[in-house]
Amino acid sequence: MKVSVIVPAYNEERWIFKVVQEIIRAGYDVLVVDDCSKDRTVELASKAGAHVLCHVINRGQGAALRTGTNWSLKHGADIVVHFDADGQFRVEDVARVIQPITHGTADIVLGSRFLDRTTNVPLGKRFLLMPLARIINDLLFGVRLSDPQSGFRAFTASVGHQLYWRQDRMAHASELLALMVRGHWRIQEVPITVIYHEFGQGFFGGLKILKDLFLKRLG
Amino acid sequence: MAQILVAVVMICFFLMKLYWQKRKGAVSSAEFIFWLVFWFGTLILVLLLKPLDRFVASLGFSVSAIQVAVYLAIAILFYFIFRLRLKLEKMEESLTKINEALTKTKSQPEKDL
Repeated sequence: MKVSVIVPAYNEERWIFKVVQEIIRAGYDVLVVDDCSKDRTVELASKAGAHVLCHVINRGQGAALRTGTNWSLKHGADIVVHFDADGQFRVEDVARVIQPITHGTADIVLGSRFLDRTTNVPLGKRFLLMPLARIINDLLFGVRLSDPQSGFRAFTASVGHQLYWRQDRMAHASELLALMVRGHWRIQEVPITVIYHEFGQGFFGGLKILKDLFLKRLG
Repeated sequence: MAQILVAVVMICFFLMKLYWQKRKGAVSSAEFIFWLVFWFGTLILVLLLKPLDRFVASLGFSVSAIQVAVYLAIAILFYFIFRLRLKLEKMEESLTKINEALTKTKSQPEKDL
């Protein structure tokens, strides 16, 4: 089975070389979608051996993932994996995430930071932002999953061909979860470990996601 | 009276500017009609302030007709802003599609994905 690991990247010169090398070393094909970085992301990703696609203008992580997913599906990927470029995910977890698909027990697998205690999630996130995001996901989309904003996911090519998310920026994670649940595919969550280098989306980032979801719903 | 006169002069000025812009082809027909109706509506409002005050009072408002007009204008402006946001969202979506179509391949390893 062809596994294509898609890494959207924007100004990730600090981590991209290491991330790409580790993915290649683990035996997966890696596609970096550069979202018009201003630093050496493209150069370093190429040097590390990734196939690199470059957006001509910055459109956000959701758009980069869509570009990468469409490209991978067009080039024969059987399983698509979404993976962050900032070195916060562990390459060892890719095997864990794709396993239920290769064993035929799931169509979609979502990495979750909350199924075990291996991830040291910042307290504000663990006890405030994530519970709030879970409630919103449940109320707005009927999504009841342990990790409401996980960016580590894998799905089959068949799912990929039917998934069409419209959110270009950070709200894509919530929209994808909603589409996946609505699609009635077999979804499984597996524990993953996230190594936090920075806090990531804060409260105002969350508000922006809500605004984007609201506007897209009306549009 | 002087206030009404100033308002009428200003509206006439804007109507003339609109007419000249239409003659130069700077505004489309739809836009021209929209602004024509808008300025004529404003002119009628200014000229019929007293009867309109009575009409607004008969509807149960405790404020003058001009105040009702200002509140309505603000509500309409908010609606236009909302419409613009939706339009911007659509344009952003189109932009992303174009961006994806223009995406360049920077490096291609020997083994295709």
